[in-house]
Amino acid sequence: MADDKDVLRDVWFGRIPTCFTLYQDEITEREAEPFYLLLPRVSYLTLVTDKVKKHFLKVMKAEDVEEMWFDFEGTPLKWHYPIGLLFDLHASNTALPWSITVHFKNFPERDLLHCPSNSVIEAHFMSSIKEADALKHKSQVINDMQKKDHKQLWMGLQNDKFDQFWAMNRKLMEYPTEEGGFRYIPFRIYLTMSDRPFIQKLFRPISPDGHTHTLGDLLKAVYPVAISNDDESKRYQVVIHGIEPLLETPLQWLSEHLSHPDNFLHISVIPAPSD
Amino acid sequence: MVVGVGDGVRGTHREMSSCFLDEETFCQCCQLFLQHSHSLCDGWSWQQVKGSEEGYLRKTTLGTGRTRCNQDQQGTSSDQHQERTFSLSFHDDDDDDDGAVCCIQEESSSVVQYEYHILYSCSYQTPVLYFRASTLEGRSLCLEEVWDSVHPNYRQRLQHRPWDTITQQEHPLLGQSFFVLHPCRTEEFMKPVLKAALEEHRQVNYIVTWLSVVGPVVGLDVPLSYCTQVPEPPHTPSSSPQPPALGTKPG
Repeated sequence: MADDKDVLRDVWFGRIPTCFTLYQDEITEREAEPFYLLLPRVSYLTLVTDKVKKHFLKVMKAEDVEEMWFDFEGTPLKWHYPIGLLFDLHASNTALPWSITVHFKNFPERDLLHCPSNSVIEAHFMSSIKEADALKHKSQVINDMQKKDHKQLWMGLQNDKFDQFWAMNRKLMEYPTEEGGFRYIPFRIYLTMSDRPFIQKLFRPISPDGHTHTLGDLLKAVYPVAISNDDESKRYQVVIHGIEPLLETPLQWLSEHLSHPDNFLHISVIPAPSD
Repeated sequence: MVVGVGDGVRGTHREMSSCFLDEETFCQCCQLFLQHSHSLCDGWSWQQVKGSEEGYLRKTTLGTGRTRCNQDQQGTSSDQHQERTFSLSFHDDDDDDDGAVCCIQEESSSVVQYEYHILYSCSYQTPVLYFRASTLEGRSLCLEEVWDSVHPNYRQRLQHRPWDTITQQEHPLLGQSFFVLHPCRTEEFMKPVLKAALEEHRQVNYIVTWLSVVGPVVGLDVPLSYCTQVPEPPHTPSSSPQPPALGTKPG
C-alpha cells in the first residue's frame, strides 16, 4: 500500500509529454521544427518554456517577436493555471503528446494575462498561497512565516525542489487536532461548458455534527451536475491531477495530498468520453 | 452562496461582524447603494450570474488616462528594459528573463473607457474592485499605462505596500483579464471605521465606506451624498450561532 507521502511525490513529479509547434502564420526565416518537452503538471507554462522560446527564436527575426503565448485547438492557454489543470481541462481524452501551438503575435488581450517576467508568476503563485491560507487558517500560518520562508516556497517550485518546497509547505498543511481539519477547503472547480471559468465557495471539511465531508459531498453542494444519478450513464468525469478520485475520498485528505503547490485543489469537470 | 458572518458566538451579532462581510450582506449593501446610484444617474448596475444568486456591481465611465504604449508591444532583451512595473512590489532584479515590455513612447493624455466591477471575495470575505481600461479604438491599456493613471498621491502608498498593488487577474465570473486592487488588507482600513461607527451608533454601508477608500485610487469617485444617503442593510440576528456552511444538509 502506498504511503501517503508517496502521493505527494507522485503529484509533484507528474509530467506531460508535449509537442510545441509554431503557428503557421508566424513569419520565419526558415522552417520551424516542432519542439518536444516534458512539462511538470504542477508548474506554469511561462515558467518552464524558456527553451521553447529560444528554439523558435532561432528561425525568427527580432521584430517579428512579441510576447509568447500558447493555444490548444484554438483556445488560448491561461499561463496562470497550473499546466496539469490545463491539460486535464482541455486535452484529457486526446492522444499524447499534447500538441500546443506557439504564437509570438496578436496577443489575445482580453483573454490572457500578460507575463512579462518571472516575478509576475511568483506574485501570482504567492497570491494563491495567501488566499488558500486565508481559507485554511485565517492567514495566521502564512503571516507568521518570514519573507525568506515565502521565498523558499517559490524557489522550491521554480527549481523543482520537492524537499525544499515541502519543508515549508508542511506548515500550511497543519491544523489544530481538535478541529479535525482546515477551516475551509481551498478548491476551484473548473467547467468546460460554461462562460464562468470556475466555481469557488466556502466549504468546511467537517460538518457541524462531526461528519467527514467527501469529494462527493462537495460536488453535491456546489456543482451537483457533475454527479450522475445511478440509473443514467456517467456524463462527466471529475479529474484531479489526471485521475478520477473516488467520490468517497475525504476532502480534507484530498486537500492535504492532492493540492497543487499553490495549496488549492484544482478540480476539472469534463465531459466523459463517449466510447 | 451564503456563509454567515464568521465563527464565534460571543458578543452581539453586530460586534461579531467586525470588519468582515458575508455575501448576503454584500448583496444587500449593493442594492441599497444602487438605489442611491439610480437617483444620481451615475451609471452603476447590478449584473446577476446566470442561474445563481451571485452578482456584482458594474459601471463604465469615460475619463482621461495616460496612454503611452505602442500598438505593437516589442519583445526586448533584458539588458535594455528593466521590468519596472513589477519591481515596484517585488524587489528582485535578478530576473534575467526576456519579457515583452511596453515600449516607452511619448506620453499623451487621451480619452479612456474604464469599466469597474465590484465583486465579493468569499476567501477574504470582503468586496474586491476589478477594473479594465481601453482606448476608444478598443485597445486595452497595459499595466504601465494604468499605473500612470493612478494619482501621484496614491502611487507611493501602493509602492510600499505590495499587497495593495494593482495586478492583472482573471475575472472569476467572466474569465477575462482585469486589473485588481488586492483585497487582503481591506480589514486594516475597514476595522477602525466600523468600530468607530458602532461606538457612535452611526450607520455604515460597507460598500460605500470601502469604495470611498479604494475607488479614488483608480479614478473612481464616490460623491459625498453616498455617505449620508445610503443606509446600512437591516440587521437580522442569525438564528443559529454557526454560519450555515455548505454541505450541512443531511443525506
